[in-house]
Amino acid sequence: MTIDIPFIWIAFKEIIKALPITLILTIVPLLAGFLIGIGVALVRIYKMKFLYRIANGYVSFFRGTPIIMHIMVIYFGFPLLLDQLSLRFDLGIQTNKIPIILFVLIALTLAAGSYLSEIIRSGIISVSNGQMEAAYSVGMTKFQAMNRIILPQALAQSIPNFTNIFVGFLHTSSIAFLVSQKEVTGAANIVASVNLKFLEAFIAAGIIYWGITILVEGISFLLEKKVTAYNRGGVS
Amino acid sequence: MIYLQGIKKSFNQLPVLKGINLKIEKGEVVTILGPSGSGKTTLLRCLNFLEKPNAGIVQIGNIIVDSEKATKKEMLAIRKQSAMVFQHYNLFAHKTVVENVMEGLIVAKKVKKKDARHQSERVLEKVGLSDKLHHYPSQLSGGQQQRVGIARALALNPEVILFDEPTSALDPELVGDVLSVIKSIAQEGITMVVVTHEMSFAREVSNRVLFMDEGVIVEEGTPLEIFHAAKEERTRRFLQRISGESFFTPLKEQVN
Amino acid sequence: MGKAFDLMLIIEFIPTLIQYLGITLQILAASIILGLVLGIAAAIPRLYKIPILNQLVILYVSFIRGTPILIQLFLVFYGLPAILLLLFSIDITRMEAIYFVIITYAISNGAGFSEIFRAAIRAVDYGQTEAAFSVGMTSRQNFFRIVLPQAVRIAFPNMANSVIGSLKDTSLAFTIGVMDMMGRGDTLIAATAHALEVYLSLSIIYYIIVVMFEKIFSKLEKYFNRYQKADVTAVA
Ligand SMILES: Nc1ncnc2c1ncn2[C@@H]1O[C@H](COP(=O)(O)OP(=O)(O)OP(=O)(O)O)[C@@H](O)[C@H]1O
Ligand SMILES: [Mg+2]
Repeated sequence: MTIDIPFIWIAFKEIIKALPITLILTIVPLLAGFLIGIGVALVRIYKMKFLYRIANGYVSFFRGTPIIMHIMVIYFGFPLLLDQLSLRFDLGIQTNKIPIILFVLIALTLAAGSYLSEIIRSGIISVSNGQMEAAYSVGMTKFQAMNRIILPQALAQSIPNFTNIFVGFLHTSSIAFLVSQKEVTGAANIVASVNLKFLEAFIAAGIIYWGITILVEGISFLLEKKVTAYNRGGVS
Repeated sequence: MIYLQGIKKSFNQLPVLKGINLKIEKGEVVTILGPSGSGKTTLLRCLNFLEKPNAGIVQIGNIIVDSEKATKKEMLAIRKQSAMVFQHYNLFAHKTVVENVMEGLIVAKKVKKKDARHQSERVLEKVGLSDKLHHYPSQLSGGQQQRVGIARALALNPEVILFDEPTSALDPELVGDVLSVIKSIAQEGITMVVVTHEMSFAREVSNRVLFMDEGVIVEEGTPLEIFHAAKEERTRRFLQRISGESFFTPLKEQVN
Repeated sequence: MGKAFDLMLIIEFIPTLIQYLGITLQILAASIILGLVLGIAAAIPRLYKIPILNQLVILYVSFIRGTPILIQLFLVFYGLPAILLLLFSIDITRMEAIYFVIITYAISNGAGFSEIFRAAIRAVDYGQTEAAFSVGMTSRQNFFRIVLPQAVRIAFPNMANSVIGSLKDTSLAFTIGVMDMMGRGDTLIAATAHALEVYLSLSIIYYIIVVMFEKIFSKLEKYFNRYQKADVTAVA
């Protein structure tokens, strides 16, 4: 067994074509999950009765189980559920026509929502009480205060956490290859088995993930400097 | 006895101590005054090698160290001769009050744990903290924390205790407590070097006052000499600025 | 696809699957212990800025942070035998899959731990070290009696998160053929065609274990924080 260095480059060129799918599997769940996350965070902070329990259960369960379970349960469970509904209400949905990526996206979105809600919640809590009171004192409503004063500060403070989540979900999207998605890891697997050069293919895939990660962390670093500019100044 | 000769220290080419010579007798209480940045803290820290001087000789008790070739072992020996009370207390955050005081006894002095506890409790009683033995530093006020810091130093029974502005981080109403503790141990005949901005303390407690500026000892003398009849213009200007008018009045009364 | 959904099966599968929990926990324990050793070893060159080693550790940590655990698993699985054969003519192609998993997760944990340790040690106020010196402690006494105990407290919550993350990551070990809970689940699916029920059983088991870990860790954290101000611990 030897390492075929030139093949790494060949594999790289082939595998990087799958990057858009990896990015879709990363970004779409994070965007959709962000909306869920804000909603869930507010429900939990304001302790809205009943909803509050559901939100707690959702966050705890999704954060407490491996994401591969979410993908598998939805991959196997959703079609079953839809078939039942379709049968009962005569909707005529053909579940085998639904692209698998949709199930993966739903699963990852639900997972992202649970993780993001925790980040947003801790961000909101970390903005001091005084900020809310100051907002009230100039005549803002609760909604205005949240929207204009608290959330912008909370989100700016959470940039490092968001970066971690982004990188985490970029990496997590590799699990999708287990339900035969042709994202970066899936593509690497195909290149590997067709050419029987496993190590080289996965090295190439590793380089792609590594490169994107470094890029994202760099952007986040610059962004953080810009967004939290209001936090500096004064004496130092 | 403490003896410093030709102590020099620079930070990135900036000379901060420019050759300090100093002799302190056993039982003496020496206060160091001087404007901010004059090198008071640095001098104190050179005494126990928290800063390593670039040149000069440090002697505490019978330990003599040439700072240019000071080994780890020698620095440790000097540190075992001295103890320090820090401006920001620096109590061991993960240890209770009594454990803070015991720590140096057990580790550096190799005292048995039981004896260390005994001694520590006695010293803590002296600083008025018998009721706080098992509190953690975070549960104490600044004044109480600083008294633990003093107890920690005192328990080691060192040749000298170094104080770096022990009251300047305290709320004004807590300063008195801490100062009176320091005064009471000064009267026990323990050698002390105190950097402070508390003029009343310097006047009432110390045997000798040093005035430092720009890395040298500009002038030294008894409190009376320094406060009432400073020879150097720099000293007079500093004292005037720091205490305004209020301090001349009581001094005059004292002199008369 | 599978047969009709059967709620009872979820309960029925649990005893079968849980027999394999031991393997999962073994992987976890071994990779954490090895990871701790590796993490300490990697933190030292960073803390003491040992040239070359320092840069190597930075590279190591960056790579592990930059790639999915799945890719790391494949790289070790395909790469380690190749490297050992090439450099030392040691043939480990017949080594059991579980060892590859343990090695991968140890390498991965080691990188994470080293960063956690480094940050924790640097977070201990330097005044603590000065105070230790002032009462006559040596550097070593200062490190073990003063700095380390405080660093452990600072590091603990992050370590706990890492361990729980690692536990969830073990669910990917089956991809290289390890017979843990997930591996057994796979065979159960092949035998019964009740994939959804198997994954739900697995989710329940993982969730219970994670919650138990969280309970234990939060107890330990309280213990470590006993010398902190009450209001500091109450925030969480
Ligand atoms: N670790 C260091 N690195 C670089 N410069 C330092 C360091 N410590 C002190 N200095 C510099 O040395 C000079 C003397 O500092 P020092 O702390 O001894 O002054 P001080 O007399 O104690 O002042 P203050 O009354 O403000 O405490 C200052 O100019 C300071 O900036
Ligand atoms: Mg100073």
